[in-house]
Amino acid sequence: MHTIHAVLAEGGAADAVKNAINALSGPASILFISIAALTGFLIWYRQLTKPVVAAGVGAAAVLFFAASALDSNFVKIITKPDNVPIVMMMFAVGFFLWLAFRQAAINDERMERGEPLIEAGADDKVLVWPDLVYSELIALILCTAGLVVWAIILRAPLEQPADPNVAPNPAKAPWYFLGLQELLVYFDPWLAGVVLPGLIVVGLIAIPYMDKNPRGNGYYTFKERRFAITTFMFGFVILWIMLIVVGTFLRGPNWNFFGPYEYWDHNRPAALLNVEFHDLVWVGFLGRLWPEADVGFIPAFLIRELPGILLLAAFFVLGPLVLKVLFFQKIYREIGFIRYGVLSMLLLVMLLIPIKMILRWTLNLHYIVGITEWFFNV
Amino acid sequence: MAQKERITKVWIEEGCIVCDACETAAPTVFEVTDDTCIIRPEALNPDFTKPLTAEIVEAAEECPTDVIKYDVVLEDAPEGADAPTPPAAKSTASADAAGEAPAKAAPAKSPEAPAPKPAEPVTAAATAAKAPGKSDEAADGLDPGIQALLRAATQRGGNVGILKKAATVPESVQSIKRKPARDLPPDAKQARVIQEAKKRSKDPDKDRRALLNTAALTVGWSAFGVSVGVSCGPAFARFMMPNVLEEPDPRVRVGKIGKYVEMEPGDVNEDYKPQGIWMIREESRIAALSIICTHLGCIPNWLKNDRKFKCPCHGSGYRPDGINFEGPTPRPLERFKIFVEDGIVIVDKSNKYQYELGQWDMLGSYLEV
Repeated sequence: MHTIHAVLAEGGAADAVKNAINALSGPASILFISIAALTGFLIWYRQLTKPVVAAGVGAAAVLFFAASALDSNFVKIITKPDNVPIVMMMFAVGFFLWLAFRQAAINDERMERGEPLIEAGADDKVLVWPDLVYSELIALILCTAGLVVWAIILRAPLEQPADPNVAPNPAKAPWYFLGLQELLVYFDPWLAGVVLPGLIVVGLIAIPYMDKNPRGNGYYTFKERRFAITTFMFGFVILWIMLIVVGTFLRGPNWNFFGPYEYWDHNRPAALLNVEFHDLVWVGFLGRLWPEADVGFIPAFLIRELPGILLLAAFFVLGPLVLKVLFFQKIYREIGFIRYGVLSMLLLVMLLIPIKMILRWTLNLHYIVGITEWFFNV
Repeated sequence: MAQKERITKVWIEEGCIVCDACETAAPTVFEVTDDTCIIRPEALNPDFTKPLTAEIVEAAEECPTDVIKYDVVLEDAPEGADAPTPPAAKSTASADAAGEAPAKAAPAKSPEAPAPKPAEPVTAAATAAKAPGKSDEAADGLDPGIQALLRAATQRGGNVGILKKAATVPESVQSIKRKPARDLPPDAKQARVIQEAKKRSKDPDKDRRALLNTAALTVGWSAFGVSVGVSCGPAFARFMMPNVLEEPDPRVRVGKIGKYVEMEPGDVNEDYKPQGIWMIREESRIAALSIICTHLGCIPNWLKNDRKFKCPCHGSGYRPDGINFEGPTPRPLERFKIFVEDGIVIVDKSNKYQYELGQWDMLGSYLEV
């Protein structure tokens, strides 16, 4: 009992752990940690999806939440009625990732040994009556019961009547849009709200036209579709789930970052002085200001933004070539020029998102290309 | 002396799909009507059905839904008295099938060593009779039911008959061609309709008429649409506008100029935030800032300690003079027109001045102190 008090006391061991976790919850570190975790998972998926290991990870996660529940700030964030679904989502995503990769791991091992797959000889047909109807009925009853319990236990997150002159602080979108709201911090509204979500949809539609790999059809596998699954996992787990989690738990008042055990202090100072890319190049590198006068029909602001435009052009023109030489020789041969062009463009846009985020977190970079005059800012 | 199965009674259970297969195989026994199939009255007599055993068995085998059932008895078969096939039911396609079916069906059902038993009725389901037909099915890979359908189509003037041209079409088909469409069986009726449609579509007059019709319809509907639009459009537009527009006066009286003159440079007065205005004091100017964030239209908060406006939605930050310096917002806050009347400062929210367009130095965007 005495030791527990010592651990939990102000400045005790628990505080040290909390401070360490708070420090690691910075945006850049959490991005790197989650990318490293995903990479590790995809490399050692066979060992990590073993039931014992997976159960251990799940138990550790539950234990982490249980231990963290001793901290009042943590509890305040976790039990907010808006945020409870996100906690459930974290566990659900973990479980379903495990489920899929577990089957993929078993299948991949069986393929290596030349044994039949899990799905071999499986009959997908189900009788509508009684099998399907009964399953649906049970699912329906469970869902209804769950919703009733949820509605009884958690208060609806209602607030005072809306006032057009006051925005709640922090003002958060519905949880499923928090990923997009996080994107809006780094990109202009037309980009974060229209182009990027549009590209998600277009990219998903384009998958069957770009992916000529016939394997993995109707059975779980990771080994035979490493590139496709890795890319999807990056987009889904990092750019969607992680952004929702960050937006829910780590974004506090004034849209500043707060660690999970930190008090949401509305007056905490945060200096985030924006830096423009044209300042970095013209003033920092060339040591002079950009020309103020228009050159012929080219307005001055285009010359001001020339470095950023060149950088972006290089990213999107040289990017596909570099990627092809480094990684995609085989894929290029398989899918041809046009398909590869679309694939690499989508990939590069996907990569641009974390790149811009990291630049914002580390350099406070506002825009790479900032043509505010035309509302074209990237 | 061999014993042969003879059918004493034949009936049809529910489930007929009116496919004409049975009438093709045994036209004297079955009659396909508009919506079902019946046994002809004379075929209810065992003496009538016994010689037709082969046809009935074939019909039962070929029935796609297996609804034809029959009772059989074993009888001594007189030589050469094998069921004669009525010529009407014979077509080139059905001839060998009709001839072979009984020959195969008989040994399979009653093997060559028949005990001289008294004739004993055996109830056989039509499905059981399918077994001997299997060899045929394997031979040309087609289900007997489908074969029968094809045969029926050929014989009754279906598509195959049409393709063969009139010269080789049998008399039954010729007669079908003379009949009016409503007396035809369904398949022939459909063929007739298609034929007629094709004939009509080739008619050049028809084309011209159709074109004229389309043109007249287009012109008519367009004229109707335009006239409706012209007559009702303005009324509808008027309807969408509110009768009374409760819009507060864009000019807001924000108090005597003295209290703004007394402010320290860099101070912000939030008294008129409910009206959408921040009054700010610069080195030698007084100005009115809009409280709408230029990023996505949230309402930022004035953080006194940090000396900045900070938006709670995406973290955009503005200096006290409204210039953006952090977060995603692309441009500074907007300023309203401001002027003095009788010592009272008035802000006109209907006029805006934007920094990035160089409008903050325009007269009216500030008050000189």
